[in-house]
Amino acid sequence: MASELRVNTLKDASGNNSVATSTIAEGTAKAWVNMNGDNTVAIRTSSNTSSITDNGTGDYSMTFTSSLTDANYVVSGCAMFKQNINAHMLCLGDYNGGNGTTPATTGFRFRTVYNNGGSTDAPQDTQIITPMVTR
Amino acid sequence: MASILKVDTITGVSTAGSIAVTGEGNSTTTNLQQGLAKSWCYISASGNTLSDSLNIGSIADNGTGSYQANFTNNMNNVLFSQAITSGSYANSMNCEGSTSDCATSQFRIRGANGNETAAVDIPNVYGLIHGDLA
Repeated sequence: MASELRVNTLKDASGNNSVATSTIAEGTAKAWVNMNGDNTVAIRTSSNTSSITDNGTGDYSMTFTSSLTDANYVVSGCAMFKQNINAHMLCLGDYNGGNGTTPATTGFRFRTVYNNGGSTDAPQDTQIITPMVTR
Repeated sequence: MASILKVDTITGVSTAGSIAVTGEGNSTTTNLQQGLAKSWCYISASGNTLSDSLNIGSIADNGTGSYQANFTNNMNNVLFSQAITSGSYANSMNCEGSTSDCATSQFRIRGANGNETAAVDIPNVYGLIHGDLA
């Protein structure tokens, strides 16, 4: 039988390690995904992620299954490429003054770029990308 | 009235590893287990010291700019999500490799110089893991 527990604070049985349930609600990741970013873009595994869209080279959109309460969330993560050097970065929205988009409650657009030795980073598809969202 | 629940372990009723938490908007729920960070670490001294961590049993220095963090409790698969941050403004930071360099028992961090032309040690690095525990 399903059950619901309503409390303000959780503690361990010794009365230590107090944590407010509001902290749990706000501190848990609201979405994350481990995805293929090159060739056929696809979700490998995820939480609260309904789809990933391939918008072009190094350009993706992530759509949530359940929308967030607002767009003021934090995005972090990695863009991984199987090379010893030439690190890749995950960027939210704008890239090099390009076609940036504002994050929405339903999802956000992001890019993966690398430093090609020039004054600006260059977009590039990345093998494995792992964005995660906290709010 | 404020309430406090004192327990050591919380387990779901229908599914032991699945508990719903009402979201901030008071309308939807989020899965507690799916949202919890499964591991994090603060590695200092250019990869030589595990300063603080969650679910990290040990670290290894695999060479210049290459660090390995070994989980205490393994992940369920290698499809976990990583966020890596460099604690050095002079260098950039990214994860090392792809699936072949991740395992259920560990993940790797790679440091590169500002031009990303060579691997370098980073004084402080921070790692965060989301995914499924075994």
